[in-house]
Amino acid sequence: MMRTRTLKSSPSILALYARSAVAMLPGTSLLPLIPGAGKEIPELELTLPGVKVKPAEVAAYAKVCGFSLRDELPVTFPHVLAFPLHMAIMADGSFPFGAVGLVHIENRIIQRRAIGLGEELEIRVRPSALEPHPRGRAFSLLTEVLAGGEPVWEGTSRMLRRGGGKQAAATATPRGSEENPSDSSAGDSADGGTTPQPAELEVSSEWRLSGDLGRRYAAVSGDRNPIHMHALSAKAFGFPRAIAHGMWTKARCLAALESRLPEALSVEVRFRKPILLPTRVQFASASRDQQIEFAVRDAKRGTPHLEGNVMPLEAQQTSTRSN
Amino acid sequence: MIDTPRRVAIVGGNRIPFARSNSVYSHASNQDMLTAVLDGLIKRFSLEGEQLGEVAGGAVLKHSRDRDLTRESVLGTRLAPETPAYDVQQACGTGLETTILVANKIALGQIDAGIACGADTTSDAPLALNEGLRQILLDANREKSTAGRLKHLLKVRPGQIVPQIPRNEEPRTGLSMGEHCAIMASEWGLGRSEQDELAVRSHHNLASAYERGFMDDLVSPYLGLERDQNLRADSSMEKLAKLKPVFGGPEGTMTAGNSTPLSDGASAVLLASEEWARERGLPILAYFVDGQTAAIDHVHKREGLLMAPAYAMPRMLDRLGLSLQDFDLYEIHEAFAAQVLCTLRAWEDEQFCRERLHRDGPLGAIDREKLNVGGGSLAAGHPFAATGGRIVASLAKALHERGKGRGVISICAAAGQGVVAVLESAGGAQ
Repeated sequence: MMRTRTLKSSPSILALYARSAVAMLPGTSLLPLIPGAGKEIPELELTLPGVKVKPAEVAAYAKVCGFSLRDELPVTFPHVLAFPLHMAIMADGSFPFGAVGLVHIENRIIQRRAIGLGEELEIRVRPSALEPHPRGRAFSLLTEVLAGGEPVWEGTSRMLRRGGGKQAAATATPRGSEENPSDSSAGDSADGGTTPQPAELEVSSEWRLSGDLGRRYAAVSGDRNPIHMHALSAKAFGFPRAIAHGMWTKARCLAALESRLPEALSVEVRFRKPILLPTRVQFASASRDQQIEFAVRDAKRGTPHLEGNVMPLEAQQTSTRSN
Repeated sequence: MIDTPRRVAIVGGNRIPFARSNSVYSHASNQDMLTAVLDGLIKRFSLEGEQLGEVAGGAVLKHSRDRDLTRESVLGTRLAPETPAYDVQQACGTGLETTILVANKIALGQIDAGIACGADTTSDAPLALNEGLRQILLDANREKSTAGRLKHLLKVRPGQIVPQIPRNEEPRTGLSMGEHCAIMASEWGLGRSEQDELAVRSHHNLASAYERGFMDDLVSPYLGLERDQNLRADSSMEKLAKLKPVFGGPEGTMTAGNSTPLSDGASAVLLASEEWARERGLPILAYFVDGQTAAIDHVHKREGLLMAPAYAMPRMLDRLGLSLQDFDLYEIHEAFAAQVLCTLRAWEDEQFCRERLHRDGPLGAIDREKLNVGGGSLAAGHPFAATGGRIVASLAKALHERGKGRGVISICAAAGQGVVAVLESAGGAQ
């Protein structure tokens, strides 16, 4: 049965990280409030009504991601508003494992209309059930944003729990496991049947990503996962250097396409190889019919970091119906 | 090539509410604000994907990174990326000067449509490296050896860490604009109460313009602001009388109430040939008739720094065969109430008009009821490069409402310059 909990304020992310980190220690799953007690993902929905964004926070976010500061929210910004709820769900005592070590493999956003900066929002987040995945098990965090009771924005963050089996479920993938995250593609090419061949996209720009990008995005998004913060903290999780946030990369792509985006849109991305900081990457895109396909690739080797596409919402709905 | 100049239509404008410095727009850059007003204008007149002849814009306080501010802003909008753009900087005259530039190209048939725009932020202001430090770093950079570089770098002093902050100061006189205006006010013998009266009227006129919905299609909300932040609908002589003088010493007549505050904002105006506007079913609010810029020597000839519009006006009027009284609406930028009053006083003054303007007699007085009827900069605020666009769009709309008539604009600018322009209702001058 679905449990719905209404929060009075946005949860403290640092406290949730602490709980998630504790969950990595063997045996702690028996403790109350520490994730790891459940076997399955709980049917839990968190809602946070009365959310008003602060223009200064949007401005700081826009600057780090490359959006211009408008009277409407950047299309990816509601993800930042929902992020503390994502963490709260994954830090819930009934959750089968902690958030640390999970890999964000896909993200889809549907924006039904642009959200005004001054609008009061309600945010609802719930997880989907665990499903088998070629590389382990996966579930989604489903976010819905309402303005005046009207659904205006949806986000689907697909998360991978690497490895399978019941023993692995209680502990995060430790350093030195046979799966080296820096070598493994975060997503799985087998499920990317609709992905266009990278060669079809035209490179339009090269981005120099500085070593402190993870910290700068953490400051504006609240996502302080240690794999993004510093080379040393990233090493503890098996990455040779700090890696860029997937949602920063997605936001940066949409900022690059900003003037060409329809107001009502659907945008899907698949996160491939992590971006190790600092580095240079290339942004490539191509418009086809009403759709824009885009990718971020390593500037030297051309290996894909992110692949995605945007389409106007009407076209997207039509194509869903015709399927 | 065309044989005779074409009429230039003012289709409409868009601006964001003006904010007081270091307030609601503190984190918005000039490019953010310019992009926002351009996209608002594009939406209002369905220009998505349109390739315009040009976009001319500018900012007075500009970061060195904003080399191509207007072009970069255009690339962030829904206009076709093939729309050319360039930056203009003529202090507070920037907005009106861009209007003249775009209008002239339309009149000559070089382009069919364009946008004149401007933005300024006094909050997100550019800070420059301390000049001494900058010289040392450049000298060090020119050296080839590490020892050579070190020789220069050792000259760095702790005080040089303080950056250079842009100052509202005339480079050749060292006086601020307010101090210059205080000299003008004292030379023309202006009283405190006439300045305060002008300020009160400005607030009341702008408040009533908002009340009757006049601003609805001129202003788009931005970052939670819906009206100009400086607007005080309840402004009164009693309230303004309490303020202490800020310029001209303890006996001065200029206060924070009758001077414009530092502000942030942006504005844009769409101009086009009549055919271009008609083809797209767009309105023609007014025609841009003529413009004139003048400059005076405030450094050596004891001219009032902000008196250049007084010189520009008769040149334009003579060319058009008009007198100063031939207008139904007057828009004189209220940098300071004193600037407006000195200008009016100068046009009424026999001696000034004979000796300085070399005319037979004075230009004469104007009907004050026709002055700044929708409020002025004292109420709205004055983001330097955005003021011209604010005035052009609101005067064009006021002329459209009247159905006929003529309006004139006068804007003073730093460094002793002034810009004036004439608009005519789409329904005709009379």
